[in-house]
Amino acid sequence: MSLQAVPARYRVVSREAETRDTVTLRLEPVDQPIGPHQPGQFTMLYAFGIGEVPISISGGPGSGLLQTIRSVGAVTRALCEAGQGQVIGVRGPFGTDWGVAGAAGQDIIVVAGGIGLAPLRPALLAVLAARERYRRVCVLIGARTPHELVFAGEVAAWRDRGADVQVIVDRAAAGWHGHVGVVTQLIKRVDIDPGATRALVCGPEVMMRLAARSLCERGVAPRSIRVSLERNMRCGTAECGHCQIGPLLLCRDGPVISYQRAAPLLSVKEL
Amino acid sequence: MSSSEAAGLADHPFLRGMSADCVALLGAAAVAVSVPAGRRLFDEGAPADKCWLLTRGNVALDLHMPGQRNLIVETLGSGDVIGFSWLSPPHVWQFGAETVEPTGAFELDGAAVTALCDTHPDLGYQIALRMLAAAVRRLQATRIRLLDLYGMPGQDAGPR
Repeated sequence: MSLQAVPARYRVVSREAETRDTVTLRLEPVDQPIGPHQPGQFTMLYAFGIGEVPISISGGPGSGLLQTIRSVGAVTRALCEAGQGQVIGVRGPFGTDWGVAGAAGQDIIVVAGGIGLAPLRPALLAVLAARERYRRVCVLIGARTPHELVFAGEVAAWRDRGADVQVIVDRAAAGWHGHVGVVTQLIKRVDIDPGATRALVCGPEVMMRLAARSLCERGVAPRSIRVSLERNMRCGTAECGHCQIGPLLLCRDGPVISYQRAAPLLSVKEL
Repeated sequence: MSSSEAAGLADHPFLRGMSADCVALLGAAAVAVSVPAGRRLFDEGAPADKCWLLTRGNVALDLHMPGQRNLIVETLGSGDVIGFSWLSPPHVWQFGAETVEPTGAFELDGAAVTALCDTHPDLGYQIALRMLAAAVRRLQATRIRLLDLYGMPGQDAGPR
């Protein structure tokens, strides 16, 4: 059977705490690995005996399998607590990718909210690895507090590699000298060349909607905005229908889709 | 105000679309200022008699916390207006403000702008509309922050 249907065994080789409730696991295959992944794709991670959840891949291509997990329920809690050497199941990779290779020659604007930075990180790393192929690279990150910013230790390196990284928090803490407010305020302030911009947006759905609207107000076409949608992914192979949103099965047709396609779906209640 | 400063005032996002006559009137109450980082623009409880149209840099709106550093409520940058309290009674700053980095702005004298608006209703209407729009944007941003979107528990369901 394919590794898209049956979990491959992977061992946790390292576990890094990003925030109080979010960890990044580095995994290596025990037997046969899953196929190569593209930035934006996800896997189904199986905590044996507890359950399976979809988790975005947070590592760049060729960097092994990195998965960043926020503890929000029984399965993610078990995965977050997985220690070095523990074996978990992995199916995938599934879904569409950010398509950054197709944006060569353009400005890249990455807009991330909370743990939404995790699925964007592979795209950002791919862009920075081929920095000369892109024009301006702007990364706008929203977080609840400075302490809840994931990959905080990498921000300086991203700046060194030519990205304009700006962080804004909902609530400042002592010693915070950065921006305070909502991430859409940053969109209003950055230079945008609307005809030559590809925007990649990931975070809570309300935040993505507002960010996409702000980008559209700045003249960016909805087809040039990519969003990563979240629904109830189960099978990963477009068979069970749990992740249906309108005509799309997000595990196959998403999670990354254009805002042009997403906008009419996101405005329908209970879809 | 120099001709380039007058052009800069007319180009400020807050005034975009305002008639040249109204901008020229407002120019009489405006002065271009450069403020170094770490300078307080105003303090909570002090008389409110100015507002600033920011052209560069960043300003933190803050609130005094007894026994602690000031708590930053929001940061504002290029294109924003800072200072609403001069418009309405009791004309006292409700928050404080401090430049986070070297900041450029057009500083408007509240009493002079009020007098201009009283004698030129067209200007008064345009100013009122723009202040209302800025206040609505701030209110909406505040409401979004109140939702605590990033702190929502979510479910073991979607790929994040």
